[in-house]
Amino acid sequence: MSMFLQFTVTGIAVGLVYSLIALGFVMVWKSSGVANLSMGQMLLLFAWFAYSMLAQKGIPIWLALILVLVFSLAVGWLMERVILRPLIAQPILSLITVTLGVSFVITGLVSFLWPKGIAALPRLFPQNPVHIGSAIVSQEYLWAAVISLMLFALLSLYFKYNRTGIVMRATADDQKAVQACGIAVTKIFSRSWMLAGALAAISGVLMASIGGITFGLVDTGMRAFSVVILGGLDSFLGAIVAGPIIGLAQMVGGGYLTPLTWPGVNDVIPFIIIIIVMFIKPFGLFGEERIERI
Amino acid sequence: MDLPTGIRSFSYGEDMAVFRTKTHWFWLLLLLAVLFSMPLFLANYWLSVANLIFITIIAATGLNILTGYCGQLSIGHAGFMAVGAYTSVILTTRFGLPFPLVLLSSGIMAGLIGMLFGISSLRIKGFYLAISTLAAQFIILWVISHWDSVTGGTNGLPVPPAKVLGLVLKSQSDKFYLILIVTIIIIFVAKNLSRTKTGRAFVAIRDNDLAAEVMGVNPFRYKLLAFFTGCFFAGIAGSLFAHWTGYINPESFPFTNSILYIGMIIIGGLGTTVGPIFGVIFIQLLDVLVTHVSPTLQAAFPGLSSGFVVGIAPMLFGVTIILFIIFEPRGLAHRWQIFKTSYRLWPFSY
Repeated sequence: MSMFLQFTVTGIAVGLVYSLIALGFVMVWKSSGVANLSMGQMLLLFAWFAYSMLAQKGIPIWLALILVLVFSLAVGWLMERVILRPLIAQPILSLITVTLGVSFVITGLVSFLWPKGIAALPRLFPQNPVHIGSAIVSQEYLWAAVISLMLFALLSLYFKYNRTGIVMRATADDQKAVQACGIAVTKIFSRSWMLAGALAAISGVLMASIGGITFGLVDTGMRAFSVVILGGLDSFLGAIVAGPIIGLAQMVGGGYLTPLTWPGVNDVIPFIIIIIVMFIKPFGLFGEERIERI
Repeated sequence: MDLPTGIRSFSYGEDMAVFRTKTHWFWLLLLLAVLFSMPLFLANYWLSVANLIFITIIAATGLNILTGYCGQLSIGHAGFMAVGAYTSVILTTRFGLPFPLVLLSSGIMAGLIGMLFGISSLRIKGFYLAISTLAAQFIILWVISHWDSVTGGTNGLPVPPAKVLGLVLKSQSDKFYLILIVTIIIIFVAKNLSRTKTGRAFVAIRDNDLAAEVMGVNPFRYKLLAFFTGCFFAGIAGSLFAHWTGYINPESFPFTNSILYIGMIIIGGLGTTVGPIFGVIFIQLLDVLVTHVSPTLQAAFPGLSSGFVVGIAPMLFGVTIILFIIFEPRGLAHRWQIFKTSYRLWPFSY
């Protein structure tokens, strides 16, 4: 029972971070129709940046986190401005492949700047583990869950009351109508990329504080695609709901299946879920089913 | 359009021929002569580079049929190659089948697995399909690295040299002839496939699958066929790769390779026969250049971080892919077309 509780708590916590990553993806997809497959690499980059700020430069935590956030906004802005802006209205194939190119560049950059390839972030959260019933969970998981939930609340307020947030939702709905209202759509694209960058940075730091900084963060980003697929590509709610589902499936399913199958089954469960969802309900739980016309 | 003035066709077959004029045939025969005499004047290292280039051309040609002609993006091509490679090794070592049969069956095996993952392509496309093929890559590699009793797990498997018609192909030049001949057959098949009813159905599906269906093209059948053909070629490439390196493990088929294959066909030019060839040669030679130049640079500039040698190659590949997509989305094949036309018309502008 304590095992089950432990798997559940860690699963939900990890799942909520997946939701954050997925939100970053969905935001870009909804506003500009770009599938950002370099999410995992962005996670890695920001985690390493946080590491060099915290551990190598020795900047105080609050300042370092702000710097990471500023850096992530800058990277998001730069990606949109330099790479995606010239490709507006190009076929989806080019848009997917260009982000794959970006992922290559980031991978190279990371191994260029931080050649040791593996590191641990300095502790951001208190060390002593927490007892929930009979389960013992380290605090990072709980903080990750709490921070993710807070960010969801903030984001939903942003999309509901902030002017730019409302315009972003409008852009997702109908780009032409937004342009007709005299709003520069490109500026909105830029905003959503910056937000996606910030979300990648936060989730990267959270993931790194749970499991250390390795190239495994890239795989974490890949696994977050299963959240996007299960929740539906164009649904914020879907991303938030599907995250914990995937996290639970990964932790609980993986925890109980590992003795029965091969080790590492929890890493592959999200991908199996992708294939199953594709067969049964390709547009996800909350995704909008597109009806095409010629 | 590609012909000089004054060339006429007297039969339909003549009009459809790929090589029309004596000049065409001259260049083709010259190219073949150079290719077949390459082991005579190339050092062993460059022969192995050429071998890897040809193997990659086969894989990229398969991906080009799937992505370039049929429009089904696959980010799991290295996974399908792995299926072919492992099938080939297991059939050779466990069952001792003759090599041509092994080659064919590893292609078929990879094609069937590809079709399995391609079934979902009936209802989804674009990004969804990309993600499901990405999932395919991860699932395939996970199975391979854990099914110890069959695949040897992460330790990998040694591969005996291929035996064709009683000859054991051990040296680079022996392998070169095998790989070259298979590559020529594959390019011949791919070129002609694109001109048949099937190839045109692929193009129709790529341009608009609904319109294609209305015109009477069965999208399910042809999408599955595209998946089968593309992954069949990947399987063949995987089988040749296994017999070329002599040792395979799950890390021989990383996810980055799958991305690189897409980069190659985009750099070369999607939906053309020469595209994958140009793209593969471009990227592989870039790779060779980087491996040779970066240690020198590292030595010349001691201030560079020790990750320079590891990091420079992916950075260069990524930048190349991005630049090509932004500035020349039709790839090197388009440039080649422009070059040929202006060469023929020179010194007149039209």
